[in-house]
Amino acid sequence: MEAKLADATRLFQKFKAAFQQNDLETCSNLLSQLKVKLTEFPALPPLYKQTPTAIQELLLAMDIFEHAIVLSVKMEDQDAFERHFLQVKPFYTDTRGLIPQSQEEYSILGLNLLRLLVQNRIAEFHTELELLPSEAHEHPCIKHAVELEQSFMEGAYNRVLSARQAVPHETYVYFMDLLAKTVRDEIAGCSEKAYDFLTVADAKKILMFSTDRELQEYATEEHPDWEIRNGCVYFQKVKDSATCKEIPSLQLINQTLGYATELERIV
Amino acid sequence: MVVRALSPRVHHEVGVPREKVAPASSDRGASGSNSAVAGLSQHGDGSTMTVVSTASGLLAMLQEHHPALKLHALNNLNAFVDHFWPEVSTNISAIESLYEDETFDQRQLAALVASKVFYYLGELNDSLIYALGAGPLFDVTEESEYVQTLVAKCIDEYIHLNVKASESIEESPPLDPRLVAIVEKMLDKCMADGKFQQAVGIALECRRLDKLEEAITKSENIPSLLTYTLRLSQTFVTKREFRQGVLRLLVRIYQSQPSPDYLSICQCLMFLDDSSTVAAVLDGLIKGDKVDALSAYQVAFDLFENEYQLFLLQVRDRLPEARVSTPVDVAASGPPAAASVATPAQPVAVTADAHSAGDSGPTSMDTSEEPSERTPLLAHEPQHVEPALSTSPAQPVLDPSRLAEDGAESSELSTYAQRLARLKGILSGETPINLTLQFLYSNNRSDLLILKTIKQTVELRNCRVCHSATIYSNALMHAGTTVDTFLRDNLDWLSRATNWAKFSATAGLGVIHRGHLQQGRSLMAPYLPQNGTGGASPYSEGGALYALGLIHANHGEGIKQFLLESLRNTNNEVIQHGACLGLGLAALGTADEEIYEDVKNVLYTDSAVAGEAAGIAMGLLMVGTASEKAGEMLAYAHETQHEKIIRGLALGIALVVYGQEEEADTLIEQMTRDQDPILRYGGMYALALAYRGTANNSAIRRLLHFAVSDVSDDVRRTAVLALGFVLCSEPEQTPRIVSLLSESYNAHVRYGAAMAVGISCAGTASSEAISLLEPLTSDAVDFVRQGALIAMAMVLMQTTEARDSHVGAFRRQLEKIILDKHEDTMSKMGAILAQGVLDAGGRNVTIMLQSRSGHDRMTAVVGMAVFSQFWYWYPLVYFISLSFAPTAFIGLNDELRMPRFDFISDIRPSVFAYPPSIAPPTATSAVKLPTAVLSTSARAKARQKKEAAGKGPALGASSPGRADVGSSGEGTADYNESGSSGKDGTAMEVEAGPEKKVAEPNSEVLNNPARVVPAQEKYIKFKEDSRYVPVKRSRPSGFVLLKDLEPTEPVELVSTDSPVAAGAPSTANGSATAATANAPPSALGSDDWDPQPPEPFEYVP
Repeated sequence: MEAKLADATRLFQKFKAAFQQNDLETCSNLLSQLKVKLTEFPALPPLYKQTPTAIQELLLAMDIFEHAIVLSVKMEDQDAFERHFLQVKPFYTDTRGLIPQSQEEYSILGLNLLRLLVQNRIAEFHTELELLPSEAHEHPCIKHAVELEQSFMEGAYNRVLSARQAVPHETYVYFMDLLAKTVRDEIAGCSEKAYDFLTVADAKKILMFSTDRELQEYATEEHPDWEIRNGCVYFQKVKDSATCKEIPSLQLINQTLGYATELERIV
Repeated sequence: MVVRALSPRVHHEVGVPREKVAPASSDRGASGSNSAVAGLSQHGDGSTMTVVSTASGLLAMLQEHHPALKLHALNNLNAFVDHFWPEVSTNISAIESLYEDETFDQRQLAALVASKVFYYLGELNDSLIYALGAGPLFDVTEESEYVQTLVAKCIDEYIHLNVKASESIEESPPLDPRLVAIVEKMLDKCMADGKFQQAVGIALECRRLDKLEEAITKSENIPSLLTYTLRLSQTFVTKREFRQGVLRLLVRIYQSQPSPDYLSICQCLMFLDDSSTVAAVLDGLIKGDKVDALSAYQVAFDLFENEYQLFLLQVRDRLPEARVSTPVDVAASGPPAAASVATPAQPVAVTADAHSAGDSGPTSMDTSEEPSERTPLLAHEPQHVEPALSTSPAQPVLDPSRLAEDGAESSELSTYAQRLARLKGILSGETPINLTLQFLYSNNRSDLLILKTIKQTVELRNCRVCHSATIYSNALMHAGTTVDTFLRDNLDWLSRATNWAKFSATAGLGVIHRGHLQQGRSLMAPYLPQNGTGGASPYSEGGALYALGLIHANHGEGIKQFLLESLRNTNNEVIQHGACLGLGLAALGTADEEIYEDVKNVLYTDSAVAGEAAGIAMGLLMVGTASEKAGEMLAYAHETQHEKIIRGLALGIALVVYGQEEEADTLIEQMTRDQDPILRYGGMYALALAYRGTANNSAIRRLLHFAVSDVSDDVRRTAVLALGFVLCSEPEQTPRIVSLLSESYNAHVRYGAAMAVGISCAGTASSEAISLLEPLTSDAVDFVRQGALIAMAMVLMQTTEARDSHVGAFRRQLEKIILDKHEDTMSKMGAILAQGVLDAGGRNVTIMLQSRSGHDRMTAVVGMAVFSQFWYWYPLVYFISLSFAPTAFIGLNDELRMPRFDFISDIRPSVFAYPPSIAPPTATSAVKLPTAVLSTSARAKARQKKEAAGKGPALGASSPGRADVGSSGEGTADYNESGSSGKDGTAMEVEAGPEKKVAEPNSEVLNNPARVVPAQEKYIKFKEDSRYVPVKRSRPSGFVLLKDLEPTEPVELVSTDSPVAAGAPSTANGSATAATANAPPSALGSDDWDPQPPEPFEYVP
């Protein structure tokens, strides 16, 4: 076990070195090796075996996963981010009694909140939020995410966009960029419901596009059902009014006849 | 939007509660996404407790690219799925896709995890599919709930598929081999664990004969398992075809046993209708030693009990002929009755013949030559009985010589031929019927006072229906006992029966003399139609033919020809009616083509009265053959205009499909969809008979459907009634099923419910049945009361007040109804009939629709079905006598004689005693004793009663002869002799007097042959030190062969009263009665207060 641990630690050193040099490819190679190695440690979740080196194992694994998260942000891989975050989460919750709190915990958690916001998974966002202790809310990373969400919900999209300038951590930049797109989607969704059509100029303004071309691309890519003609964007196709439901007359007649025969048969 | 925006704000403003929760962060996890975590997965011991709060990490790991990581995740998920299935279920598609990924080498693990998740989700079908995919990882031996549930599901699925595959005509896709593997694994496990009964059950349900065989042969206790399987196959295997497969397998296994159980083998073979094998087995047995021969006899008796005439005859005919080379064998190989079959009745029969010939009295043969000597019983005056006494002295003279002759014969006869003859005697029914007749005659305990009371009240009111009902009642009370005292005593009264009433009065004699095969024809001779003399009333002639049928019911070999000729020689529809019914009964189920054609000709005359009987007779002839004749009958039913004929045919068709189960479904469907309510009504009977005693769910469902949905009251009534037949194997079910129907607003449905309970619960005295019937006996509608009273009587047959207190109340109720002059005729008739059923057969019979071995008694079921037609045609009441079975223990030795043999009934005698006689108070004090059950005093009492009826001397005088028969060596100490005279009989009672004060004993000793009612069977114990041991241990009733442990000792036989003594008078009547005899029919019809039937007319619709 000791040997394995040392082995993994060595590998992790190599990983960190590559990480420092921003050699992302090497990093991800090393990371996948590391993860396989981690499966051999019984002290890790969900087994939590009481091995003599349990603390070291846990710390190492947590460290690896935290790095992996940052790496996935750098590689702009949201799926990997989610995977790694879910794997690191037990270290923050379940092993509280075993290992000290990680330095990076809140920034990682904040990052995750931001990701949820970007992916417009508001319900999960609040679930995560609820799980946090109150002092965590004071942490700048968490606070940042919470404030963003509030602005987002209130519809103060300009505040959301301007918040990019005040990120608490460099890794947040990536998600802040993505957030702009989320905001746009949200606006597009609302516009669909609110208007039958918009002039291209208005649509450009609302959706924060600088050129017609960008709008055109966005429309064809994200909302193929939109129609742009005569300098207007038409949404009405979306609102295909639900045809009013027909009365199931035949069925009703059958039922009534059925009741009548049943009544006849009453013993 | 607004709602979503609100929630965080709320939390911000109300920060306080959050503080409180904060420290318990791990608990928070629980309250979050998954709630299943609480208190689970505690690793380590107390100090550092780490709780797994979520499986999301593992689920995330499934998305990793590296297979090792996926495997790791799967392994852990498999371990934690029991707690985290809600979380896993959201990601089930990931696991499913892993399973479907051909390149992933741990697909089976993925399948297992998926299966478990689906199991927790309650999606057992999906779960099963994945469990099958898991292959060896799905361990059937695991004790978890998951595995057990899935294995059960698996077996259910397999059964379902297998049954479907075996039932569909076209080739179905082969079963999933993995499914088969699991079921087989499970079966193997059952067997390895020694749970063979389970294995047998599963194998039967799966319809896997190979596994069934394996299970049986592997077990340690093969015989008991075979018995178990046989029982299961009768009760649970609803598919006829598969059941036959099971039976064939059972026979094979039985035969491979070192000491085969021939009783069971032959039962199986009978179900398979394999008469030749049975014959071979029996032949093999009688070639063996004495014990083998005994079991051959026992087999024959058991087969006889199932009353499957056609089969019995086939078996008999397939047995090899006895060699005729030795002259003495001629007697044995002659008539099937086999003169050398040394039944105790035989000598007497010979005596009677010899005597009557000597006396030049009319026998059945010479009556035609001397018509003037014919003296019908119904015209007898009591003193005409006297000449009969002269038969008695002849007996002692003849009997010893006969016995000596017999002894000489037996030494010369090869043992084999002798045994063969005996066996044939049993199979043809001669021996058992004779023994039964003797038993019923000598143990007759019917109470004439009851009849007298009925008669008196009926006389007061000149009620035609009640008059006939009393005659029916008398016939039932004395069914098979040959005691016609009541009729003899009340000839004047009897002669008031005219037209059809006369028909039934004459036919009633057939019920009373049922089974009196040798004398039957001579008994009825005075009434039978004669060539050339057209003087007799067609009603009594028809009745006499019907009576002959009843006497020979199901054993009509000897009488068939005579009945057939009578049918051919007449054009009178009343005689045709009687002859058809008689033929149907005598040739029951023989599928005799010649008779069928003749009966069909009668049908085609399109006469309503004769046609109805012809329809029924055709059904009776073809019972259970499912022959295509049914189609022919159906076609004619559509053609004819007479409702009576249609009804007869409808019932006939129903009889043809008797016992066919699913195979009859096409015809049943055709009938139940017919426009004519009478044919639908026949369809109900067809359902009842095709599924008799199977408790088949689909049949019950269909019947219930018709019971509530048909527009015709007749059909509804019959549908409910038919439930009684379908459920007759499970009487405890019936009251529950029909309880709602018994409260129907429709009186016909209520009537049907009452009869259904009566039919299926007959003789059980079940408390549910009684409580259901009780309110119906005081129903507002008269015919419902009638049905309920009859049904109640059927349920309470042979029940004593010690067992069920309702009996007394019911008897009082009957009496009250009969005496009440304001009561409706219908219910009064019901009460009178009920009285007859309640005290049927001298109280020594009960209604048994299933034989003791649990098979259906065809004759009984058929009889009951036709009986239930009495709604339309009263003379059919007599058919109920076919369902009567004697409740007797008759022990026989290897010569088929009754040795002296005692056994114990381990219960207070009063619990199963005869009901107390209702004799006048002065006489009752002695009679009402519990000691009445001791067969000595029972016998004495029976005699005493006959004495009271004015017949004592005849019996007393005939007894010396009987004593001689009984004691071939030493017979002086025979208690029977002492008990046989009337004087000693009273002496016994005097002795019995003091016992009244003594506490009732807890057990009693019964002597062979004894009355053992079905409920009493479990209390019967055989003595340890007894000289005789029964061959079959299973049920101590019916005919039981006894093994003699001391064969060298002289055999002490029980002497028996022979019914012939009572039956003789009618044959041996003196010439003194010639005057009356000349005009018997006119005597009957002299004071004719019955209106003439309307002139025959053509029905023009």
